[in-house]
Amino acid sequence: MKSMRADFVRFSAPDVADLFDYEQFVSFSEKPKNGFSGFIISTDSVRELLSSLRRAKKGCLVGVLSNDFKVNKEAVMRKRVDLLLDSSYRRLDYATLKLASEKDVTVEFALSKFLNSSGFRRAKIFEETKDTISLVKKFDLPFVLTSGATNVFELRPRRQVYDFFSFMGLDGKKAEVYMQRLIRRYTDQNFIADGIEILKSE
Amino acid sequence: MKGIPPAIRKRKRYIAFRLIMDSDIEQWEESPNIPGIGGTGDINARGIALAVWQSLVSLFGDYYSGGAEIWVEEYNSGYGILRCSNDGLDKVKVALTLTNRINGCNVIPVILGISGNIRKCRSKYMEV
Repeated sequence: MKSMRADFVRFSAPDVADLFDYEQFVSFSEKPKNGFSGFIISTDSVRELLSSLRRAKKGCLVGVLSNDFKVNKEAVMRKRVDLLLDSSYRRLDYATLKLASEKDVTVEFALSKFLNSSGFRRAKIFEETKDTISLVKKFDLPFVLTSGATNVFELRPRRQVYDFFSFMGLDGKKAEVYMQRLIRRYTDQNFIADGIEILKSE
Repeated sequence: MKGIPPAIRKRKRYIAFRLIMDSDIEQWEESPNIPGIGGTGDINARGIALAVWQSLVSLFGDYYSGGAEIWVEEYNSGYGILRCSNDGLDKVKVALTLTNRINGCNVIPVILGISGNIRKCRSKYMEV
């Protein structure tokens, strides 16, 4: 099976994916471009989340970014939501992560939040990430490891991102499988579900 | 400490790295949203070692970063070799990944490879 090495970023990245050992950068924005890209819903109200979900285009990944527990919990229950995006202010709780494992919603871990913070704030982020990782392992939740870059200087090579999170206890190989599955849902027409795909069509 | 028998000495690792700097990024087609582009500081071996050391101490504290024994063996036009102890290799990799400013310049550190021998490190990763 062909591997799909992609990184999720929050800006229009230059065409240097191969320099960072990726095949493509998937840029998440509120106005996604044509082609395979991501639609980001950044909100703190459930009402806004629901109205934004109606606007989501077909054929693009939908990610929710919120610092409100309620919004994240509501997002997990929506079929259209593919992943919970990461930022330094993301708030997840036990119930949301348990629901995410039932609804097959992917959780993103981004490196950029560690680059943008320092001191006490970074220590808190490490603590929160460790808690999330322990729950991800407990529920066997799908997760992806990305740079989550908002500018060029937050990009890091794939191996470094994976090494960083494996230091924190996440399995890079598993993340690759989940990333591949997530992208194939939108890019591979033969893909139906996990382990089910059309081999030959006449 | 001097005079330690070879069997007890700490084993070293050499990390070949590349620093992608402002000047490299200006050559790319687009470079939007870059904060503080165009740093003025000169990047040298000492500056890199200090930046990585600060990142290491900030992340792991004095106690756990003491055994890392980091130093930049050589640095030339964006490419260099960082020496560290084998025990602290993972920590140094994390610290290097989280280093984003050296002497006032924005940088992207890229680890090219790791070797236990400086000659091998030079021949494998530094010579194109």
